[in-house]
Formats: sequence, C-alpha cells, structure tokens
Amino acid sequence: MALTTAPDRTGRAGPAGPRRTRRGAGRARLGEGLAGYVFLSPWLIGLMGVTAIPMLLSLWLSFTDYDILTPLAEVRWVGLANYERMFTGDPSYWHAVRVTLTFALVAVPLKLAAALGVALLLNRAWRGVGLFRGLFYLPSLLGGSVALAIVWVNMFNRDGAFNSFLALFGIEGLPWVSDPDWALETLMVLAVWQFGAPMVIFLAGLKQVPAELYEAAAVDGAGTWRRFRAVTLPMLSPVIFFNLVLETIHGFQGFTAAFVLSNGTGGPVDSTLMYTLKLYISGFTDLEMGYASAMAWVFLVAIALITAVFFSTGRFWVHYSDGEEDR
Amino acid sequence: MHPATSPTAGVPAGRNHRTPLTRRRFVRGLAAVALAAPLALGAAACGGDEAGDDGPVKLSVFWWGGDARAKLTEDALALYTKKHPEVTFEKTWQANQGYFDKLATLTAGGNPPDLFQIDDNYLAEYAGRSTTLDLTSFKDSGKLDVSKFPKSLWQYGVVDGKLAGVAAGENTQGLVYNRTLLQKHGLPEPTTGMTWEQHIAWAEQVAKKTKVPGTQDPSADYKAFWVWLRQQGKDLYNGTELGFTADDVTKWFELWKGARDRGATPTPDVIHEGNATDITKQLVVTGKAATSWVWANQMPDLKKNTKDELGVVAYPGDPSAQWARASMYWSVLKGSKHRDVAVDVINFLTNDPEAVALLGTDRGLPSNLDLRAKVSETATDPAMKQSIQVESDLAQKFGESPQVPIKGHSKVRSELTKAAENAQYGRATPAQAAEQFLAACKSAIG
Repeated sequence: MALTTAPDRTGRAGPAGPRRTRRGAGRARLGEGLAGYVFLSPWLIGLMGVTAIPMLLSLWLSFTDYDILTPLAEVRWVGLANYERMFTGDPSYWHAVRVTLTFALVAVPLKLAAALGVALLLNRAWRGVGLFRGLFYLPSLLGGSVALAIVWVNMFNRDGAFNSFLALFGIEGLPWVSDPDWALETLMVLAVWQFGAPMVIFLAGLKQVPAELYEAAAVDGAGTWRRFRAVTLPMLSPVIFFNLVLETIHGFQGFTAAFVLSNGTGGPVDSTLMYTLKLYISGFTDLEMGYASAMAWVFLVAIALITAVFFSTGRFWVHYSDGEEDR
Repeated sequence: MHPATSPTAGVPAGRNHRTPLTRRRFVRGLAAVALAAPLALGAAACGGDEAGDDGPVKLSVFWWGGDARAKLTEDALALYTKKHPEVTFEKTWQANQGYFDKLATLTAGGNPPDLFQIDDNYLAEYAGRSTTLDLTSFKDSGKLDVSKFPKSLWQYGVVDGKLAGVAAGENTQGLVYNRTLLQKHGLPEPTTGMTWEQHIAWAEQVAKKTKVPGTQDPSADYKAFWVWLRQQGKDLYNGTELGFTADDVTKWFELWKGARDRGATPTPDVIHEGNATDITKQLVVTGKAATSWVWANQMPDLKKNTKDELGVVAYPGDPSAQWARASMYWSVLKGSKHRDVAVDVINFLTNDPEAVALLGTDRGLPSNLDLRAKVSETATDPAMKQSIQVESDLAQKFGESPQVPIKGHSKVRSELTKAAENAQYGRATPAQAAEQFLAACKSAIG
C-alpha cells in the first residue's frame, strides 16, 4: 500500500499549488491513517473492550456498593468506604495478604532454584538430553489447569498416592490437603513442580554464556563452584532478573489450585485463602463486587510497587555484559 | 514493514502536526462508539419489553442438580411445550457448587434466565435486591395456584411481604445412617426423638464396635445448628438480627468437642471432607462415618453412591424444631420479557398432575398436597418410597416455620464452617471460636 500511495503524494507535493497540495496530502494521509487503524482494529477493539474499558469500570465500581445483581445505573457512590473497610475493618483481608505473601516468598525462590538447578544439569551435552528437557517442561505445559489441581488433591489426600509411597518406608502420612497446617505447603509444592517455563529460559541464558569465559576462568585455576559463582551467575543475572519478576507476579496471582483444593472456600480454616480467591469470594459469593473491585486495584498497585522495587534494586546485581563491553 | 516503505514514504513537512489531530479525533470517535454500542444494545433489549407474550416464546430456565433431575425436568418442560407449542425452553443446568456464582454472573452480564431455581440460602439476597419478580398479584389473581400448598410452605417464599419464590418441593432435615453397617454389628438404629447426648453416646458405641466413627460432627453445619437452636428456644435469625448469642454457639461447639473427645466422630480432616455440600462426599456414603446430616429429599441421590442400605430419622432432640422447608423455589426474573409465561410454567410444574407425577420427589415432596398424596400412592422406587414415608411421618411433628434466612446468610454459613473447623482442629477453644463467629456475623449482616 505504501508503495502505491507514496509516489502519488510526492508527485502532488510540487511547488505549483501549496494549499491544494496540503489538503490533498491530508486526505491521503487520513486515508492511510484510517487504513492503519482498520488493520489495528482487531487488537484495538480487544484492548478497549476487554481490557481498558472494564478496567476503568472496575476503578469506578471500587468506589461504589455494586453487588452484581443491581443494575449498574442504580449503584451508589460510597467514596473510599470499600478501601477503608479493607484496611481497617476486615481481618480476613489481612489474613489473605499474609497467605499470599507466605506463598510467594516460599514458592517463588524454590521454583527458581529448581529451574536453575535442572537447567544446569540439562545444559550438558549428553545423549538423550533433549528428551529430558521435554519431560521436565511437561508439567508447565499443563499450566494452571483445573485437571492438574484435581490430580494434586487426589495425590495428597489421606489415601492418596503420596501417602501410599510414604507407607512403603513405614511412614504414616498426613491428610496433607485437608490439614490447615499443610494445605498451603501442598500448593507450594505444586507451584514449584511447574518450574518448566523458567527452566527453559534459564537454559537459553546458559547457552549464551561464552565458553571462553569458562576456559579463561579454568586457566586461572577456578573450580566448579567458583566458575558458577563468578561466571555463570553474573552472566545469567539478566535472565534471573526476568524470571524473578515474572514468577513473582505469577506467584501472587495463584488462584486455580487454591480454588480447586478448597472447593472455592479458601479452607481448611482459610489456610489457602489466596488474595485472588478472597477477591473472587467477595465478588461472586458474597455479592460485594464494589469491594472486590477495590481489592483488585490495591492488588494491581501492590504488584506494580513490588516490580518497581525489583527494577530499582536490579542495577546493583544485574549485569548487562554487552553494555559494559561497549564502554 | 515492507522494506520499500521507509525510503519512499519520507515524512513530508506538513504531516507531523496534522496527524496527531486526526488520530486524536479518531480515537475520540472510537471511544464514543465503544461507549455507545452497549447503550444502543441495551436500548434495543429494553424495547423488547413491550413485545408481550404473543407469538413464539423462548423461555430460559436454569437449575442445579444431577443427571436424574435434569432428565425429569426436561421431560416435564417438554410436556409443557406439547401443551403449549408456542413455548420452547432454553435449558441450562449444573452442579450445585458454583451455581450461584454463575447465576450472579449471568444476571450481571445482562443475560439472566427468565425462570430459575433458588433456595432459602440465597432467596433473600436476590429478593432484597429486587432481582426476583413479586408473585403476589399472580397468586391473588389465581394465575399461580398455591391453594393446595400447606400454608407454611408457600409462606416460606415470602421475603419482606413479597412472594419471591414458589416452593418446588418440601423437605426437612434428615439424619441418614448406614443400616447395613449397624445390622452387621447388631447395633440399634437411631430413632427420632433421641436427645443429642443419647445420639453422641450411641455414636461412641458404634465407633467402638465397628471402628467406623459413629457420626459426622455437624458443628459446621448451619442446618443442624439451626435445629438445635430452635430446641433451645432460640432461632438463627430474629428480624434483621442474629437470633442467638455467643454463649449459644459456645455450648454448641462444646457439645461436639465432647463428642470428638469421646471418639464418636471422625478426625478433623475427615470432618472437613464431609463438610463439603457435595452429595458424593457425604461420609455416610464414603464409608467414613455411620451417619451424615442432610436434607431428607437427598436420600435417593445418596443411595446411588453406596451399596449399603441407608435409613433416615429426624435430627436429635425434639422433632418439632424442624419445619416444612421449601427445599428450593422457582423464581421469575423481575426483568423477564415473558413473565406471564414463566409464572404459568411454575404453575404447571407444581400443580399439573402429569408434570408432578413426572418430577416425583426429586425436589422434595410435591408442594401440592392432593398431588403429593397421589405421588405417594403410586411411588414404586424404594428410595423414593422411603423418603416419602419419613417425610410424611415427620410432617406430623413439624413446628412453625422460621423466617427465611436474611441477606448476608451465605456469609454467615461460611463463617460458621470456619469457626467450627477452627475448634475442630484445636486451633481455638469453643469459646474463642464462638467469639470469632459472632464478630464475623455482625460484619456480614450489619
């Protein structure tokens, strides 16, 4: 398209008639711009309809008493009441915050460590390594699926496969998923087990580390651990940073497994009441969608802040080697 | 991104300051369209209200339940279509879990069903927000006939003076026990009228003899708590307030702490499993306890999940604390375009002899007493016969119906479960758990 319109436009833009030319050019430009927007429209409509407008709507709702059943036109503006209640009047909100932080603080580092560890093993050139890469990635392909959560619950209940396995060694297992002291831990294990996605990214990062750095380090007498500390980790730090940010956000948003394990209640005794689950219960079970919207916005701001903290501390430990080489 | 683009489409001078204008105008226009579109659609939908009930009508119906209920309901609706060919149905059904989430979402999304099933746990939530149509005028004009219903039964559908739902059936609390297990060990069966202490002592004996815990611990179960409260002269609600105090809750929790300490109940994690509302997870059918606390009309469904023979009696204590409860209602959406048809369908499902015979006792005993007698006479399915028998026996001892649970009840229910489980797992004393529960209730219904 550009090919056909462009010469046309330059042809008209001669010195002969400046006024006419400008208008003509404008029309052509408008046509071109419009075409651009038309081509963009699938994405644009999606963005507006599915993301932007609902988001703004939920921001507005967070200041109202919207209860889902009442038509939008009849909701009442309640100012900051929802936010006030969240911070001062709802102990279970803070409980949900604690559960979510505990989950993220334990599951995310463990998941990254597992991903890095397996990536290091799979980075060697041995026979059949491709098969293992595929196998380790498999759990992540299943993603946050409901089916997987159901399997997990059945594996870790009192008569589940895990306890049968323990019984082989004469250990009597616990009813992991229905014990309030262990239900969240069971979910953490599920999250850690799905380390495939960060592992693949680590693996790609490891491939980028120049072999001559290891050779040089080895010549200087560095052992395996020293090479890992002084070469691998710094060279990998941008990838670690990327995975850390992504997995943290992912960890905070955990919902499906907690929902399935607890039948949507956050039980036993609120032990799996993740933030998103609390939000869901408030909105859809207790019919307090205004309150749930307020929770969603606080959640968004909190995640943005945490990400900002990562970015601001990143410059102390993330090394972008190519930039340094240029200087 | 064609390579030829960049050299030839060099930016002419005038372009830079005009494009943003165009773009801005365009975006503004787009936003206007995006905002206007739902309005226009909404207006179109409103316009339909005037259309009346002439011509073909497609009525959307939504209920929860299993395959068996779906089959019966579909047959009954097909019968209606046969008699009224202009009316067809768009049927949607699903399991009880998640049903009310879905109903709320459909309502919010502007796509609510014309006719839907609801129970007393949510009736006030919906009626209090004017989502349900007030059926009083239809009742008064005779378009909706409740004259053959027990008075207390149809009145159990009245919220704030409005008839918000029509009882689709009647049920009551039922204590279901594993008869096969008891007979195998030569143990006595529980009877209606046993005291709570006798029930617990009996359960302890069962546990000792059979190694199966004698009773599920119902301290997290609002319907058991409710019956117990009524036997103490209290109630779950009193107007818009709670009908009980922290002391009552403490006593209730202590009663069951005693039972757990005596080994009459399963361990807390098993109790937790049994607290799910899912029929297939009730401990009496999974074999993890000898008794479960259910609704009497759930008997046939429970039977499908076990090979053992089951029996059912009233909850312990004075059975007059139980009442003729509307097991579930049919309600009409206030904004429905086909109100008259929807009301007529309800009338058909509850008063037409053929339809009632088709539906049987799946939703509880038929609300229409004449037809209830007929269904009882002709019932052949043993499970159905048994539940009719038990419910008819209990019906003679029923007391006054309580008021329909108020707005916020669903939260009161989940808070009771939480507090009771806290006590069961030993994370709080009965008194502490009771305090937590009361505090949470106050914020839920306040």
